[in-house]
Formats: sequence, C-alpha cells, structure tokens
Amino acid sequence: MLTCQELVAHSSDYLDGQLRLRERIAVRAHLAMCRHCRRFIRQMKVTQAVLRQLPEQSLPELDALADRLAEQRRQQP
Amino acid sequence: MDEQQLLQRLLAGEQQAFRELVARYQGAMRAVAYAIVGSRNADEVVQDAWLAVVRNLAGFQQRASLKTWLLTITANTAKSRLKQQRREPLLDDLPAPHGSVGTERFAADGHWQAPPSQWEQDTPEALLAASELRECLEKTIASLSEMQSSVLLLRERQGLELEEICNLLDLSLSNVRVLLHRARLKVFATLEHFEETGQC
Repeated sequence: MLTCQELVAHSSDYLDGQLRLRERIAVRAHLAMCRHCRRFIRQMKVTQAVLRQLPEQSLPELDALADRLAEQRRQQP
Repeated sequence: MDEQQLLQRLLAGEQQAFRELVARYQGAMRAVAYAIVGSRNADEVVQDAWLAVVRNLAGFQQRASLKTWLLTITANTAKSRLKQQRREPLLDDLPAPHGSVGTERFAADGHWQAPPSQWEQDTPEALLAASELRECLEKTIASLSEMQSSVLLLRERQGLELEEICNLLDLSLSNVRVLLHRARLKVFATLEHFEETGQC
C-alpha cells in the first residue's frame, strides 16, 4: 500500500502516463481511499493548467525580428 | 492557419506569416537554447537558429512537424555553440521562493501531516486573473535551474512529449522526469502559498 508521501513522489509520473500498470493500479487504489491525495492530484492538475495558460511575455522586438527574417527570405533565390 | 498554408506563405516571404511563426515558436526555441547554453548565450543562439531556419526553409521536407524541425535546429545550433561542459550540475536543485512539497509535510508513517487545503480559486482563469500571482509565478520559474525551467516550460507551456524533450536536450527519460517533478512541486508550492496568504 502506497503512503501519501510515495503518492506525491509518483504524482508527476502518474500525470504524465509514465507509470507501469502495477504502479498505476497502486496509485489509483490509494486515491480511491485518500481525499487529501485526491485533492493534491487535482491541485497539481490546476498547476499544470495554470502553467499552460500563463501568458508568454510578448516582446515588441519579436515583430521586428520576424520582419527581418521575411526580408531575408525574399532575398533568397 | 494550418502548417501547410503557413509554410507556403513563409516560402513566399510574407511578413505576417513570419510574425506568426516567431510568435508561435520563439518561446519554445528559447527554452531549448536556455537549457543547453544557459541564459547568457540563449538569445544569440535563438537568433542564429532563426537565420538557419530561413536559410533552410526551402529544403524543409515535412518529415517532421514544423515545430520539431525548428526545435531541432535550435538544439543543434546551441550544441555547436557549446564548447565547454554544462555550466551547472544537471540535477541541481536550487531553493525556490515558496519551497516545495517536502518531507516536513508528512508524518513518520508517510501520511500527510500538513495536507493540502481547499483552494478558493481553483481554475486557471480565476488564478491568472490576479496579476500579482502571474508575477509571482514568473519569479518562481526564474528561480529554477536553467534545465528545470526549460523542461517545465517545454512540457507544460509548449506541450512537448517527454521523449521529444529527451532528444532535444540529450537527457535520459529518468532525468527529465526528475527535473519536471521537482519544478512542478515548486510551482505548486507557490500556488498553494498564494491561496493561503493572498500574496506572493
């Protein structure tokens, strides 16, 4: 039986689908019984979603770079 | 615009297409360069990689996706720049502003001693509405080692598969898993801290 600490240690692998079948079953069995760990996994998923949606700093110089690249492309044969 | 259309417009040298390409992939390319050559030379490597992309655009065979092709060029540009050894131990774990989810959270029997509490804001939209939290997250990401932050951004923000990250950065799968897990727990700790205190 996994402890909560072990579940946390396995949490990223669980979220990334990196666990072997036996480990995945152990994680699921633990989650079925432990509300703290269910909450932890839910919050880890929120953490992932936050990172996915965290706006990238848009730099004004990026458009200038793009324009230079387009110019170079046009100059190529 | 799908990739095929984008490619045609790039080949025609269309300015708007290049703006879209740069906006879409600059972040991922920078993360790859940052992981390999570090912060000092990352911008220069990305610039060089873009020039190589333009030079080789007509020869792009579409055997891989445009994204994979761009990131491979970036990784190769970075590796050829890298003459010295890596500047930092690969699995270096630097302290983060709000810590991680460490052993102090658990009792001797491995059960939670300080379990996670309910989050008031539990959607990314609600959380990211707070500009203070956005800045706070940027700070936490900046506190990670170059390798940790790059792996985190390539996985979460850019959606790369773990295997792709391994190939680009010449890392083993187990190292990528360790880097990713440690980085995620630090970001988790920042969110948790913000939920509990309302501040960074």
